[in-house]
Amino acid sequence: MTAVVTRPPVGVDPERGPSARPAKIRHRPLSTLDKVQRGLGYTLIALLALFCIVPFAWVVLSSLDAAAGPNVQVPTFSLENFVTFATNSGTPRLLLNSLVIGVAATGVNLALGFAGGYALARFRFRGRRVFMFGILLIRVIPAPATIVALYLIMVKIQLSDTLIGLIIVEAVLQLPVTLWLLAGTISAVPLDLEEAAWMDGNTRLQAIRRIVLPLVGPGLGAAAMLTFTNVWGDFLTPLVLLQSQELYPLSIGLFRAFSEHNQVDWGLLAASAVVYVAPPAVLYVLVRKNLLRSSLGGAVKG
Amino acid sequence: MKRSRATAAVVATLVAAGGLTACSSDGGGSGDDGPVTISVVQYQQTRIDALQAEIPGFEAAMKAQGRDIKVDLVADVLTDEQFKTKITQQLIAGEAPDLIDIGENLVPGFAGAGYLAPLEDDLEAWDGWDHYRPQFKDAMVRQDGSIYSLTHDTGVYNLFYRKDVLTQLGIDTSQPETWDDLITRLEAVKEATGEAPIVVPAGAAWGGGTWAEGFQPILGGTDQDFYDADSGTWDLDSGGFEAVFDLYAELQSKGLLPTQDLQNPNPWEPTKYDAFPAGTLPVAAQGSWGWKFDWGPEGQAPIPQLEDKVDTWQYPALRDGDQPFGWSPPGFGYAVPESSDHKDEALLLAEYLSTGEPLARQLVASGAASPRDDLADVEPLASEPKLLQAGDDLADSVFVPTGDGADQVSQAVATATELILNGDADGEEAYDAFKKDATDLLGPALVKQ
Amino acid sequence: MTTVPLETAAAATTKLPSPSPRRRRRRSGDRPLILLLLGPSALLITAFIVAPAVYSVYLSFTNTQLTGFAARDPKFVGVDNYVYLLTNSDFLGSLGQTGVFVFFSAIVGQTVLGMVAAVLLSRPWLRGKGLFGAAVLMPMVVPEVVASLTWASVLTSGPEGTLNRLTGVFGAAPADWLQVVPLASIIVINIWRGVAFAMIMFQAALEDVPAELIEAARMDGARAWQVFRHVTLPLIRGPVFLYLLLTTISTVGVFGLVYFLTQGGPGGQTRLAAIYIYERALQFSQIGIGSAASIILLIIVLVLGVVYVRLAKVEV
Repeated sequence: MTAVVTRPPVGVDPERGPSARPAKIRHRPLSTLDKVQRGLGYTLIALLALFCIVPFAWVVLSSLDAAAGPNVQVPTFSLENFVTFATNSGTPRLLLNSLVIGVAATGVNLALGFAGGYALARFRFRGRRVFMFGILLIRVIPAPATIVALYLIMVKIQLSDTLIGLIIVEAVLQLPVTLWLLAGTISAVPLDLEEAAWMDGNTRLQAIRRIVLPLVGPGLGAAAMLTFTNVWGDFLTPLVLLQSQELYPLSIGLFRAFSEHNQVDWGLLAASAVVYVAPPAVLYVLVRKNLLRSSLGGAVKG
Repeated sequence: MKRSRATAAVVATLVAAGGLTACSSDGGGSGDDGPVTISVVQYQQTRIDALQAEIPGFEAAMKAQGRDIKVDLVADVLTDEQFKTKITQQLIAGEAPDLIDIGENLVPGFAGAGYLAPLEDDLEAWDGWDHYRPQFKDAMVRQDGSIYSLTHDTGVYNLFYRKDVLTQLGIDTSQPETWDDLITRLEAVKEATGEAPIVVPAGAAWGGGTWAEGFQPILGGTDQDFYDADSGTWDLDSGGFEAVFDLYAELQSKGLLPTQDLQNPNPWEPTKYDAFPAGTLPVAAQGSWGWKFDWGPEGQAPIPQLEDKVDTWQYPALRDGDQPFGWSPPGFGYAVPESSDHKDEALLLAEYLSTGEPLARQLVASGAASPRDDLADVEPLASEPKLLQAGDDLADSVFVPTGDGADQVSQAVATATELILNGDADGEEAYDAFKKDATDLLGPALVKQ
Repeated sequence: MTTVPLETAAAATTKLPSPSPRRRRRRSGDRPLILLLLGPSALLITAFIVAPAVYSVYLSFTNTQLTGFAARDPKFVGVDNYVYLLTNSDFLGSLGQTGVFVFFSAIVGQTVLGMVAAVLLSRPWLRGKGLFGAAVLMPMVVPEVVASLTWASVLTSGPEGTLNRLTGVFGAAPADWLQVVPLASIIVINIWRGVAFAMIMFQAALEDVPAELIEAARMDGARAWQVFRHVTLPLIRGPVFLYLLLTTISTVGVFGLVYFLTQGGPGGQTRLAAIYIYERALQFSQIGIGSAASIILLIIVLVLGVVYVRLAKVEV
């Protein structure tokens, strides 16, 4: 990674470090200027927060509204939109497809990423630097620039309009980031631990499984979350690679429902959106709970 | 997540995905002798329903001949553009159903690319072939001399108008002889209602319809030479092009077109499905399928007492020496992908659906006229005066067959008319832009020098 | 690839250490293991990411189409596609719109608002940081399609639409925003979506600014604004440029957010380069031209990347 290096400015005490803040103890009352500034600050941040939150009002309210329209209104509270979602002929399929694609792609991605990350972290081999650099370069490519050629390739190898084809593509598209992330996380696990395991009679692979894997839990969690969230929200790739209605994930389903123009069921659409937002949020909560568990504590002495 | 559990999860999901994939691929037939299953796709609800109703009859008829054929109808409701994208992809991948039912404007492109099987030998051996009106037999022959689709419906493109609304506004409802005449009447409507009174497909959002349903009919009525069949080239200098662009520009500049609706996705919805039934937009350029598919009782936007409220005018004359006319291209046609393993059976289905009562029922369902001359007495078509009228009108309506490059011309027309809608060009400028764009897209081989 | 900016931040800030120097000796037995571990990934990345890029370049020099006689026999046409595009008002217009879109939403809007949020959230006197932070974060973490949907409702015409109610308070007539000011509308939406990413990156950068310098400047009598301009800003120049690079790249790739709402309309006014490519290649089946447009877009992104890196180095 091209780390942009900033030279510490003259006058900074390098030992104390830049982040050491002196404890703020107010010795004098706030001046008027200070009050005005603070008021301004609160106003600004409150406006910004409102700006960010208000658009969601419609989605939340309409999903619970039995008579929902395209505008925000006081809802006639009811859960019937969600019921319709679950019992409608097309919508549960959308959710199922999204789940299958998301989980499968994440699984494949993590498996490949963990293996590859380990190789990148533990071995120095020719072309390693080129590979790492290349991976970074790949992130520069905007998706619309290669989607056309990718589409043709998929058609030629007969994987277009299939869930398996989409899963593989999604898994691979997220692979550069996962590799980078996991290579970093695995490097942070001291080789000593593995060597200790080898000396205890484990094979290399057993050592990986028993020692490295548990310790990179947070890294795996982060990678899983990133991958799943990106795959879950992807719109362009399924739009191009899928043509059959029964394979559509939620992102495409919502689009088709929205562009019906005449026959939009706004309540159902809002409920679908709520359902759509839920899984990444749930995953985030789950991963956070695991992330908080300390990983290396007590494993290495000295 | 333990490694072994992760692996198991991955394997499980891959297996599940594999299972789902198997469910999603279109059914092909299996076995050489014995039961053959052929697949056919429809993407409009009226056609889906009509075809579904015919399948048992077909399977029984085949059984009576000693053939065991099952038909699998793939129903997927899509817009024309969505279907085009999907079927193109399926054809490239060799995964298209055994029989496809496609609009006329798609055929030259697919035939040229080699995706469709030639049918002329089989058709000439078929007894139904003799009943096809000569103009359609000719129209079905493509550039390379082969026939790639069996036209099974047609219609006449006209201007549909709200007789009741115009009468109420005191506007003359007799056939307008010229566009100037019609424009005068339209201006009077606008004066009275303040709304745009006519919709003619235009702009990029209408997709292929801008050329097929908007521009080309008007062009063909005034200029039959815009495509040279002998050399297989497009004569972009032909006078009709500029005349039609000027017409669009005039309609736009006088505020007679629903510009905002035309600029937005799915422009036929607010115009043909909302405003025309509501009566606020009383004139629409439309094909005869409008009687059923758009405004019929089972259509997209039913208009009650349709036949009392709506009537049709022929397209008025555009330039000096022209006559009012109807435009009748071949409509939908059955085609068999080259990649199909059951071409013979597929063609049997196509022929069955293009004969007698099955054909009549489908024509009535989608509001089309018959390309055959032997259906006037066949129920239920015999009870549909409007469709029979359309069938009679075929005798003196216009069609100009075209060949390779139609897609490119269609695109260039869409882009150029969009300039007019956006106010970025007048008629002449749009024509110049069109000429340049079409020349670039077609390439020198397809442009008449 | 929908870029959740969090991961690019992670990628950007993680410096990969080399494998332990003690194990530098290469055991020949390692080779098959490396191949086994990394091989599949390398292969798949080559097949599904690198190959399409290369194939795109190849296709851009041909007249490949999916329908018509040209589909049977694609020919090499050299730079014809590029010439067509660079003289085509539609394409040039779409590049222009993309430029405006990127400039106002990413470079101006997100950066300014993100900086404001980052600065405010780093003030020790501000209460409710968690709440404010979470609120700003929300637009970024929801899927693209949901983001578009929320704004579809906000921008509805008619007096009941959320934005219209707001402007109604000031006495303005209700407007059909996506029709009247389509490009401005999607710019606002994209700003809304990206503020959180900027905020996160700038918060990290601000934390690295030594407190002593701020104190010293304040004791010299400088106002908060002056402190910010003359002390803080120069110090975070590096991360700011890094942010600009990342957000430019991801904004150029925005597709779903806009396509969902406008499909490039009305009248092509929101036809960003990504949408132009999609239309040409997949709706009009013009693969050659679509690929050439993709390559032009790619070149522009690469050039911008180089520019940013240059600027960042020069400043520091």
